[in-house]
Amino acid sequence: MSGGMRGDGMGGLTAPGFLGTVRLVLAKDLRTELRSKELFATLLLFGAVLTFVFAFGFANDPVTNRKALPGALWAALLFTGALAVGRTFAREAEADAFTALVLSPADRSAVLLAKILGNLLLQVTVLALVLPLLAIMLRVDLDGVVGTLSLFLLLGATGFAVVGTPLAVMAVSARFAEVLLPVVVFPLVVPVLIAGVQGTGMVLGTVIGDDPSDYLTLMLAFDAFYAVGGLFLFDRMVSE
Amino acid sequence: MRPFPIFLAIAALGLFGVHWLAFVFVPMEVTMGASQRIFYFHLPSAWLCYLGFVVSFVASIGYLLTRKPRWDAAAVAAADVGLMFGVVVLVTGPLWAKAAWGVWWKWEPRLTTMAILFLIFAGYRLLRAFGGESPGVRVFAAVLAVFGAPQIYFVHIAVSRWQGDHPNNVVLETDMRVALYSNLAILLVVFILLLRLAYRVRLDALTVSALRRRLARIGA
Repeated sequence: MSGGMRGDGMGGLTAPGFLGTVRLVLAKDLRTELRSKELFATLLLFGAVLTFVFAFGFANDPVTNRKALPGALWAALLFTGALAVGRTFAREAEADAFTALVLSPADRSAVLLAKILGNLLLQVTVLALVLPLLAIMLRVDLDGVVGTLSLFLLLGATGFAVVGTPLAVMAVSARFAEVLLPVVVFPLVVPVLIAGVQGTGMVLGTVIGDDPSDYLTLMLAFDAFYAVGGLFLFDRMVSE
Repeated sequence: MRPFPIFLAIAALGLFGVHWLAFVFVPMEVTMGASQRIFYFHLPSAWLCYLGFVVSFVASIGYLLTRKPRWDAAAVAAADVGLMFGVVVLVTGPLWAKAAWGVWWKWEPRLTTMAILFLIFAGYRLLRAFGGESPGVRVFAAVLAVFGAPQIYFVHIAVSRWQGDHPNNVVLETDMRVALYSNLAILLVVFILLLRLAYRVRLDALTVSALRRRLARIGA
């Protein structure tokens, strides 16, 4: 697998194409992450801790818990997402490789797309733990709605990744960035949060209405808008 | 005579005038009573808040395209003035809501979207205040303003799109229109004055830091 990857990018003198660059950067990030597992392990544990916080923070009767689940779920998505996104360029910055990454002839939007996919993958993995854990802790029966809930979470995590990942370059140049990043990213993703909480509430039967597809459309539109905007602007963001 | 003092005089006298218009001249509104008079300040402030963020948006695009510090200074100044009018909106709104709805705040579409818009630019301003002055921060902030300003569209359509309770497209008597648009005109003058001042302050700060760097270089 990694042999094939190397062949694409470094075998000849030809530069990899757009998708080739995406694949190389993503593979590099996954490989380093799989070796250290630092972010992965920390985020999983953080997700579990959040589950406890929410479980003990809310009242404990079944009706309240079912109403509280969407909020807890989406708050967990935001908090874990903020940690993940804040680390997007951390390895490059720590190894003084960020300039090299930016100066390389690789298409910068391809680099960004790879970083978005990496963050998304990380988030999806964490949420795959948080969702069942929350359901168990809050004793909410998810029979028959797991598929729809997952779709909502996937679109929500995508929204967070497409907004948060390009903004994470801030961590490279700004001081105080680890504090400022969530402060600027959270308000931007509030539309996704609202659509997510309302939509999942509808799926769980705690929000009035039986057609959550309107919220799915809204999230899809949001994701597309910021994905295109980010890919378009990223080149200008890092060009100095 | 230079235009600035003239505008300053217009703004100072005009502010007295529009308070008289809003609190004395306009007849009492039948259903809401005195609390409705907040409207003559609330709505123009909301428009000028949008205007500030739109100017910040345009200047940020200008900065991203040209990398000239002037554009960046204009973007920060406009965000500042927009935020100031945003504070007016977010203070006068709840005052009216307490009288009309019985609560200070409701999770109503326009209130929510407006609060988010304010938070986005407040985050922008925090970044500019505490994030340092590296070129990277400026570029990043410009992108943030470009990302954030389209939220104005959501504030605009919030009431009709998501069936909000916030008054929308209200029909006004002639007297009320006079008070509303006079207020808008005078507050617009205030807006321009503040924008001009804030822009000058940013530019002077740039000059000062450039001079400091030169002094440091020649070892003074």
